Amino acid sequence: MASDSPPANTNDGPSSPGENASSPIGNTYSSPSSLRSRRRARSSTPSQFATPPPPSRLGVPNSTPPTSRPSAARSNRPATPSHTDEPPPSSDDGGEDGADDATPTFVWGTNISVQDVKSAIEMFVKHFREAKESSDDLFREGKYMASIRKVIEIEGEWIDVDAYDVFDYDPDLYNKMVRYPLEVLAIFDIVLMDIVSSIDRLFEKHVQVRIFNLRSSTSMRNLNPSDIEKMISLKGMIIRSSSIIPEIREAVFRCLVCGYFSDPIIVDRGKISEPPTCLKQECLAKNSMTLVHNRCRFADKQIVRLQETPDEIPEGGTPHTVSLLLHDKLVDNGKPGDRIEVTGIYRAMTVRVGPAHRTVKSTYIDCLHIKKASKTRMAAEDPMDVDNSLRRVDEDVELDEEKLKKFEELSKQPDIYEKLARSLAPNIWELDDVKKGLLCQLFGGNALNLASGANFRGDINILLVGDPGTSKSQLLQYIHKLSPRGIYTSGRGSSAVGLTAYVAKDPETGETVLESGALVLSDRGICCIDEFDKMSDSARSMLHEVCYSLLLSIAQIIACSFQADEHCCSAQVMEQQTVSIAKAGIIASLNARTSVLACANPSGSRYNPRLSVIENIHLPPTLLSRFDLIYLILDKPDEQTDRRLAKHIVALHFENAESAQEEALDITTLTSYVSYARKNIHPKLSDEAAEELTRGYVELRKAGKFAGSSKKVITATPRQIESLIRLSEALARMRFSEWVEKHDVEEAFRLLRVAMQQSATDHATGTIDMDLINTGVSASERMRRDILVSSIRDITLEKMQIGGSAMRLSELLEELKKHGGNINTEIHLHDVRKAVGTLASEGFLVTEGDRIKRI
Amino acid sequence: MGGPAYDCLTNPLGAVRFSFGNALSSGYDPASSHGKDWGVVDLFRHYFSDESAISQVPILDSSSIKWVQPNTLVRFRGMIQDMLGNEFYAGAYKDGSTWRTNKYSDVSQFPDGPSSETQVWERRLLYCVPVPGRNQWTECSSIELKNRFLDLTGQNREKRARVDEEMTDSMDSNTLEAGLNGSPFKKMKAGEGTSSASESQVPRTDNAPQSSALPPATSTDSLPCLVKIYDSPESDLKLNDVVEFLGVLTFDPNTMMDMDSPGDNTDDFSEAESVQRPSGKVPRLHCLIHRKLETQHFLHGSSLSTELKSPQMFKEIRESLMKHLTGLLGNDHIAAELLLLHLLSKVHGRVDNVAVGKLSLNLTHLNKESMSIFGTQLRDALKSLLPFTQSIPLTIEYLNTASLGPKKDYGTNRLVPGVLQIADGTHLILDETELQPGTLNSVGVENANLLKNLLECQKVEYDFQYYKMEMATDAQMLIFSEGKSNIMPADMVLPFQPSQVNPLQVIAPETAQAWRCYLATCKSLSHSIGQELQQVLENDLVAARQTDRSLGSQDLSRLLTMARMMSVSYGETTLSLEHWQMVLELERLRKERLK
Repeated sequence: MASDSPPANTNDGPSSPGENASSPIGNTYSSPSSLRSRRRARSSTPSQFATPPPPSRLGVPNSTPPTSRPSAARSNRPATPSHTDEPPPSSDDGGEDGADDATPTFVWGTNISVQDVKSAIEMFVKHFREAKESSDDLFREGKYMASIRKVIEIEGEWIDVDAYDVFDYDPDLYNKMVRYPLEVLAIFDIVLMDIVSSIDRLFEKHVQVRIFNLRSSTSMRNLNPSDIEKMISLKGMIIRSSSIIPEIREAVFRCLVCGYFSDPIIVDRGKISEPPTCLKQECLAKNSMTLVHNRCRFADKQIVRLQETPDEIPEGGTPHTVSLLLHDKLVDNGKPGDRIEVTGIYRAMTVRVGPAHRTVKSTYIDCLHIKKASKTRMAAEDPMDVDNSLRRVDEDVELDEEKLKKFEELSKQPDIYEKLARSLAPNIWELDDVKKGLLCQLFGGNALNLASGANFRGDINILLVGDPGTSKSQLLQYIHKLSPRGIYTSGRGSSAVGLTAYVAKDPETGETVLESGALVLSDRGICCIDEFDKMSDSARSMLHEVCYSLLLSIAQIIACSFQADEHCCSAQVMEQQTVSIAKAGIIASLNARTSVLACANPSGSRYNPRLSVIENIHLPPTLLSRFDLIYLILDKPDEQTDRRLAKHIVALHFENAESAQEEALDITTLTSYVSYARKNIHPKLSDEAAEELTRGYVELRKAGKFAGSSKKVITATPRQIESLIRLSEALARMRFSEWVEKHDVEEAFRLLRVAMQQSATDHATGTIDMDLINTGVSASERMRRDILVSSIRDITLEKMQIGGSAMRLSELLEELKKHGGNINTEIHLHDVRKAVGTLASEGFLVTEGDRIKRI
Repeated sequence: MGGPAYDCLTNPLGAVRFSFGNALSSGYDPASSHGKDWGVVDLFRHYFSDESAISQVPILDSSSIKWVQPNTLVRFRGMIQDMLGNEFYAGAYKDGSTWRTNKYSDVSQFPDGPSSETQVWERRLLYCVPVPGRNQWTECSSIELKNRFLDLTGQNREKRARVDEEMTDSMDSNTLEAGLNGSPFKKMKAGEGTSSASESQVPRTDNAPQSSALPPATSTDSLPCLVKIYDSPESDLKLNDVVEFLGVLTFDPNTMMDMDSPGDNTDDFSEAESVQRPSGKVPRLHCLIHRKLETQHFLHGSSLSTELKSPQMFKEIRESLMKHLTGLLGNDHIAAELLLLHLLSKVHGRVDNVAVGKLSLNLTHLNKESMSIFGTQLRDALKSLLPFTQSIPLTIEYLNTASLGPKKDYGTNRLVPGVLQIADGTHLILDETELQPGTLNSVGVENANLLKNLLECQKVEYDFQYYKMEMATDAQMLIFSEGKSNIMPADMVLPFQPSQVNPLQVIAPETAQAWRCYLATCKSLSHSIGQELQQVLENDLVAARQTDRSLGSQDLSRLLTMARMMSVSYGETTLSLEHWQMVLELERLRKERLK
């Protein structure tokens, strides 16, 4: 600020030193005023709408000498909002000019002395300094003096005044300003004019004050008659704005008889009094004056309708609206759809209902200041920047202080992670780790774009594989509900492109299906794909084709924005987050920065634990490996779970349903918490965390080299590192922490391990084998299975005769162990069973319960 | 107070003023009261404490509007279709030294110049329409009331002239009515942009049966009403509530006509203001007292609900109704049984996205031919049984063009009703038999999603252009389809197996009335479950899940809903083992049929 107006000190020097002492004076001025008698009567209820105060503040005549002394300026005051005064205030203005310091004037109906207010404002403008300015800046001019200078420099028309500053400096003045804005602001303008003219005598424009940032803002719904004529501030969304209306401010008349031009006549109380006779002494013709349009002065006016934001609407209500009146520079400050915070004066005017009846008031807000809700859109390349997507109803609601505070508090809670996980789909129990994984997906990691052009996605992809009836779809739908930008689609059929869908009817059963193939998803949502495995069923004949068309269909689903990208990426949607589609000779690269949450049913009716994930769901390994977390949700026929489910449902129906939810965040809080975190928290890896990451990864890799194994098993791939980083970033985000801590990484490892253990565990070795995901069968398993089967075959051949006595499996196991040698790991009964099963399917032997028989 | 100083019925404003005077003398200060009630509500509530007094008040509808007089007491029964926010009015003013009030009226009694002191008070504006899909039988015949009313006014000789005037007025309003029926809606359509949506709907429904879904307000006899609410907490009245408002009618076609105020510069503003207010042709009602309407309230003149006390009564009526339904459904007993449960369903709790208590029914194996027989019969039967019914033809064309979800039109600042803006408890028939394969456009997809969402979550998304808002809606949905509808996945799917076509039965009005009363009563019964049975239920559910792993929580939930309905259908408020077993048996039969 100092650099803006270096000459400040010279000009304002004398007044500055006294600044500290003078601030209390502002207060003391007003207190004795209560003793003084009230002199001037002013009505503060204008009944006409046409000329609200800001324009009329402009209406201070041009003829006022720019060097207006305080007293002269004050005598102009009646021309301010007082246009509806019942008794013309000018009538007792007579002696005032001379007696400006002796007899105070009062704001009508109050004990507020005009002088006191004036000097308080003067003090404020001249001496207010921001707290952060240190004491050695004492000789620098105040914040608002600087902005006055700036306004003079750029020939501006207004000065924005932060109401917080007013309050900090003089709470009393603040209260007066809010309660009697019309009067106080008029005085404020006069003070400003005085100061301006004292700096630059030739400055002709009228500088107005614009107050913003009131200490308390109301909601539209709570506006009531007691707010009329008060300064208020509220938030809302513009839904409609009128065209710009020229409003006459000064009229010039010409005599039709003699051609005499009148002096500009200022609009008074919304009316222009047309001179009944020609004002020229020589003419004095009656009814001869006519308006000369091109010599009149007009000002812009606009009427805007503001609607309350969705979060203020109570259940079962519709949004309220209020009209705003904008003038001059405020005109066209917002367009429909914008969220703004408006500061203004709430006013009411009479609507003529019938010829003579005026009982209904229509209300509007006379705007002083409009602040657009900040939509800080950063580089569009960063998927995290605009991630308001997780808001259910609305994208850009600014969080108010209160909410923010609540979130901060929440994030500080030690069990926030658990709490969030609990709040996620509270209707579905267990699956705690799955929920935690989903939570990570919601929060997401940080995307990274390297200068080299490589980019790392921040989105976490999750695949749920499991038995039918394990509430996978419910989880999906729940996540979908949380993420409005996301889409929910079923993998079954995906044909049409665009926003359309195809209704298909089974010719035999008459069942109808909506093939909602390719719904457009805007970038940065979560794409929930149900029945992932069913996708492009018809094209399954060739694995390659499946892979391609599958990706293509995902791409169609995910893709939303075309990006003129020359380099043609391979169709690796989930990894590169873009996809190229060659269609009609045009190769387009589509942005597909989406997290994918898919669920798939096993190809058999139930998951076969003997088979690998890939064998179970028939998905190409290339695709499967793109998922950060793959969860197996197996429905173990567990009576305990069933009982809990039954209990819950019974409670749902017959008891107070609310009691079922224990201390969890409600869905709206959850969504706004998530979106706030995604928008504002961008955690980085701390050194400690990075170390832990490296250590853990190495350990994971090591785990693959188990003793004696002839083939190295891949337990971790670089892809896992990326996943781990993303997961730990998401975990840090949940705590609103800017740093990824060690325990985040540990938890990420745990999550990964849990997911991998379910899906990628090599049952034989108990270790994680990424080959399971990458190729479908673990390296060791393949080897081991073969060995075991051949050993059993050997033993059977050796010990048993065809059709001979049966042998217990346990006996077989003993034999195998004795046989030992070429089997290096421990053999379990279930392994034996499996191998026997294989042999049985070969027709080599039969099983009878626990016994086997050679055929 | 009380006494004959005023007549609440014909001169309600007199009563208001009288009590205002009383209140003033007992220390009521208009300057600080913010317009709070000074006893008027109690006065009227007392006066209309019993049903017979209320029935004296004429119901405002398109026929009675011709003869009811302004500034008299009327009733309006309707659904809150839109909320127009708050209105400030000069509630009290000083006439000389005495306070006068303008509460409950649009115009001031003493239209003198501006008073020296006025108090601004506020009231809420609700835009109400007759309940969409409301059936004939819910309407009160007001003919006798009309006669009585005219008699009443006729007694006052001095008012004779006024009545004459009223007659001419009513002729006026006759001509006005053409505009009136559609006026606000026409306006909306014009501003809608894609007006084809709602307009092209009209010819299309021609081939569908008469009762096909029309936008609620375009049916010929609908009379909207602007209700002004005083002294009522905001949470009291919600969107889509069905309410009876009792208050002072002000219906003055001249009102608002004179819009040109002096001074050109006010014009643009008042224009902006007037678009949000409905046209002056919509009658205004200054509400004194209001109550939410249950189906029972529509069963005028019958006090059957008291007779329905004994379980025996319930059983008898249930039997006769079941016989009726079975007959309608070609002797398909299971279908009739499920239909009855379906008709008794209502949402009685919401947890997250689960609406507890909904029970939609999908009757499959119906084609165009069988629809024309059973579908139509059933539809008509339901119309005579339920207060609000609508049917929606699920065809590609309909889905692609209809406007199902309500939309906010910011041009008029009004909520444009969609077919799915319905009152709680409305019954919807979705006819999928006409659906042919085809492509849905974006509107169609949106409509299909709306319907699906309504079916699954009992919520309708209202489109406010810049954002959407979900409104909880409680609709009973019955789907007719050829095969199982995957577009509209219902709670219960049952292949319909009629064995014969029964001739149409003629139902005695008393019987119909009894059935209506039965359905309404059962629906409103509370329900609970004993501790022991709860255990039995749990065990049964666990056992069911152990044997059939494909049973999800939704299936179990459905069983409990069915049990509840079964129980209330016998007029019982606690579930008995017998009814639970009936449900299990019913479910078994249904499953069998599905195979």
